Amino acid sequence: MESLRIEQTKSTPAIQFDAVSNKLRIEGQSYPENAFKFYEPIFNWLDNYLAELDSEPVLEIYFHMPYINTSSSKCIMMLLEKMENAYQEGRKVAIRWYYNQEDDSALECAEEFKEDLLVPFEIIVLNDDE
Amino acid sequence: MNLNLLDLQRALQKNGVLITFSGRFTQEIIEELGDAVQKYMETEATLNNTRDVFAVFIEQTQNVKNYANCQSESVHGEKIANSGIVAIGKDEEGYFVSSGNMLATNDVEALKEKLDSIVPLDKVGLKKLYKEQMKKTLPPGTTSAGLGFIDMARRASGPLNYSIQDIDEQVSFFTLKVQV
Repeated sequence: MESLRIEQTKSTPAIQFDAVSNKLRIEGQSYPENAFKFYEPIFNWLDNYLAELDSEPVLEIYFHMPYINTSSSKCIMMLLEKMENAYQEGRKVAIRWYYNQEDDSALECAEEFKEDLLVPFEIIVLNDDE
Repeated sequence: MNLNLLDLQRALQKNGVLITFSGRFTQEIIEELGDAVQKYMETEATLNNTRDVFAVFIEQTQNVKNYANCQSESVHGEKIANSGIVAIGKDEEGYFVSSGNMLATNDVEALKEKLDSIVPLDKVGLKKLYKEQMKKTLPPGTTSAGLGFIDMARRASGPLNYSIQDIDEQVSFFTLKVQV
């Protein structure tokens, strides 16, 4: 399976999906003109990846998104639901969500995503001096 | 008649306007202006105020642009596309973000209905509505998640404040002020 890389822009996050190490990173602000169009290849990649994934490896997903507009939030929720389904089907999935210290808005956003999910979901603070 | 910039500037200052843009919104303009808003806010406001003002600014300007896009084929398409305005400012109640644009009179009722269902809700009600809307399956090809107004209301310090003025029989002017 090919890895997926999308460079960061002002309004879209960097995407790094490594099919070998089973790590996925989404980093940066997200408010593209059309969020559904931006996230579509990511949904497709993840669907194919999950279909091929053996039950053994742990899929680790890192999020660090200081700002997400509402249509991107919907897309992130759809991504998280795919992880949740994979987890419910017995796959090993771990979500780590990073936010900057004092950014209450980003923390609340992470907590809300986590609320209705059973998949392991860790919220981690990044200190200013790190 | 010469444009009197001093009068224009005084009117902006009197209303507490710090940053404003009037005209056709593009994604590039939204991004550049958004950067300016964040940089300006960072120098004088808390991180949370900055985030909320930026978030409301993005939702409002993307609403204005998306509406203009979906009206581009209509007879009023050009007029609507050029009618956008956004103003970020500070008044006695704190920071605000206001946006305005023309809309087809046919769309007024649906917009009012949507906003009037959001305005009376408290923070708990807004969160519930947000989560319900978030879980809805969207029709294919959609560009909107239907969450923008709810998100703005959740970030606001008071209820959403809107008005709709008739311009003529075909178009009206919609103004939305969000105090954060």
